[in-house]
Amino acid sequence: MDVLIQNFFNLPVYRDVFPYLMGGLWTTVWLSAIVIPLGAIAGLALALAQSQSTGRGARWAVIAFVDFFRAFPPLVLLIFLYFGLPFVIGDVPKLVAVVLAFVLNNAAYFAEVFRAGLQGVAAGQMEAARSTGLSRLQALRLVVLPQAVRNVLPDLVSNCIEIVKLTTIASVVGMPELLRAARDAQSLVFNPSPVVLAALLYLALLWPLTRWTARLERRRLR
Amino acid sequence: MSDSTGLLFTFFNLEVAQRYWREVAAGVAVTLGVGLATVLTGVLAGLALAVLRATGRTALRGPVVVFSDVMRSLPPLVVIIVLYFGLPSLGLPLSSFAATWLSLSMVLAAYAQESIWAGISALPAGQMEAARSTGFGWWGAMRFVILPQALRRAVPTLTNRVISTTKNTALGSVVALSEILSNSQAASAMAANPTPLTLGAIAYIVVFLPIVIFARWLETRVGHR
Amino acid sequence: MKAPILEVVGLRKSYGAHEVLRGVDLRVRPSELVCVIGPSGSGKSSMLRCCNRLEEPTGGQVVLDGLDITRPGTDLNRIRQGVGMVFQHFNLYPHLSALENVALALRHVQKHPAAEAARRAHEALAQVGLADKAGAHPAQLSGGQQQRVGIARAIALKPRVMLFDEPTSALDPELVEDVLGTMRALRESGMAMLVVTHEMAFAHAAADRVVFMDGGVVAEEGSAADIFERPQQARTRAFIGRYTGRA
Repeated sequence: MDVLIQNFFNLPVYRDVFPYLMGGLWTTVWLSAIVIPLGAIAGLALALAQSQSTGRGARWAVIAFVDFFRAFPPLVLLIFLYFGLPFVIGDVPKLVAVVLAFVLNNAAYFAEVFRAGLQGVAAGQMEAARSTGLSRLQALRLVVLPQAVRNVLPDLVSNCIEIVKLTTIASVVGMPELLRAARDAQSLVFNPSPVVLAALLYLALLWPLTRWTARLERRRLR
Repeated sequence: MSDSTGLLFTFFNLEVAQRYWREVAAGVAVTLGVGLATVLTGVLAGLALAVLRATGRTALRGPVVVFSDVMRSLPPLVVIIVLYFGLPSLGLPLSSFAATWLSLSMVLAAYAQESIWAGISALPAGQMEAARSTGFGWWGAMRFVILPQALRRAVPTLTNRVISTTKNTALGSVVALSEILSNSQAASAMAANPTPLTLGAIAYIVVFLPIVIFARWLETRVGHR
Repeated sequence: MKAPILEVVGLRKSYGAHEVLRGVDLRVRPSELVCVIGPSGSGKSSMLRCCNRLEEPTGGQVVLDGLDITRPGTDLNRIRQGVGMVFQHFNLYPHLSALENVALALRHVQKHPAAEAARRAHEALAQVGLADKAGAHPAQLSGGQQQRVGIARAIALKPRVMLFDEPTSALDPELVEDVLGTMRALRESGMAMLVVTHEMAFAHAAADRVVFMDGGVVAEEGSAADIFERPQQARTRAFIGRYTGRA
């Protein structure tokens, strides 16, 4: 038991590395804050392109994009872009490769969620809105989308949680987010406690969100 | 040709590919191995957890819910790092295969438990009553009436989770598991050329495309009754 | 006077502070069809569900063929093979065909080999007139047919007594008669039956005895003619009176 506390829950070590981990947590948060809106907007655009377009080509292109980026491991995508992009367009800041990899991956997941949401809105809604003179764009913005979003709110929140968890892979390319900070601290103090502390911080951040998602799910079923 | 710096020759350098494709192929075997092992243990463990939760006994339900919440809130990479770098200090060294397999299995088990439990709770109470009223014990009713239906309902979410989990095998590269990504990275570093990475990307597509197609097929076949 | 096959003695049931059954006495003799009628909330369904301990009584006893099944340590799974139950909402297993629904307990509870279980299941389906629907799934059957499969599922285990919990309440009116016909045929074959129902015409014509429950107790009981034509109690009269237009 003592060995466990000494190595996993070492309070003096916690105290020492806490400020450093806080810096990492901050990076995790702002990275998520950049990636989530970009991914959501891209995903929404893709879902709209799929549902609103009349051409089969556009629809198939979206489906292909979504299937590809949902099937492709995000870490591999990140490594590929991080090491490969410089060969294509010269020196690339780390952040660009990271954000690009994340957004490509997320847009696909958001696209799927929004697609399901749009599909769940009855066709009659658009018809009713258009019949009162609203333009296509207005009908989408005022009638269809609000309902679509409300339908899939739990899935959207759950997706956001996944994105925050995904930020850990950026540690592999040296992005100073929480996991990277923890691993650096671990190698400095020769004790795994910092990583455990990071895990506890992730729990503190994400567990309430997970519970909230479950509550949203239950409300949706009613 | 070999000193052209065009895109094609950078990412698709045939000479480099010829030299290093075996490393990437070796990685495929490991990826498949750890992926298959994870899916088997993860789904079976999730099923067992859901059944424990279904007994209704608080002593069993509490730990299952806590485990499930924790494993779904933690980033998988963190779990792998904690197991691989943390356990040795407790005298329990794990190989990178074991650490990756164990972490991903626990995460999959948590998600599988949620899906199957959702399937179980969605069934009307009358199903259990009908089975009990014909003389089935609790376990008999679960085995023949409740679980067959719950599992069918869980197939769509389960297949998505299985796909996510097998993608996460790439995280094993962070703890030196010789799967596709880490082998491709090492080869690329040696060759100073990203072609092995391209090979790795192609290897992933080759491995996962059939899985995704199989999952979609399984959904249409089983998931709608 | 033959000994009763099912006897309910002083049955009590409370849900928290709410007492639903306040001491119910009732008996069903072999080959007897007993109908239980009464207003909503009178405890009829709770009483019925206590008879195979799907609900646990808080007091009193249920005696099946001389055996007190409310005693702790009773092998419920064995007892329930002797007490068939038919539910208001059928509760058929949607993932199995009609034949498989009926055969499931024969196979895995009574442990008959597959061929024997299938044979008995066919027999039961034939008895309710649905032999030709053996391969159909519940979704492909009408409500009346589903309920008859439910009846077949219960009788296949060769129970001593059958419990019916408002078997026709969830059916469209035109399908009710199919099920009642099956129930009448079952009675003809000599099955002891305890039926909670709102079908007054059926109770009047087919029941040997009628039990009127109100407020958690048996308010009055007697032959069908006694209850429907010569009700003694005021509340029985009031209840029957609401239905004379439909009788």
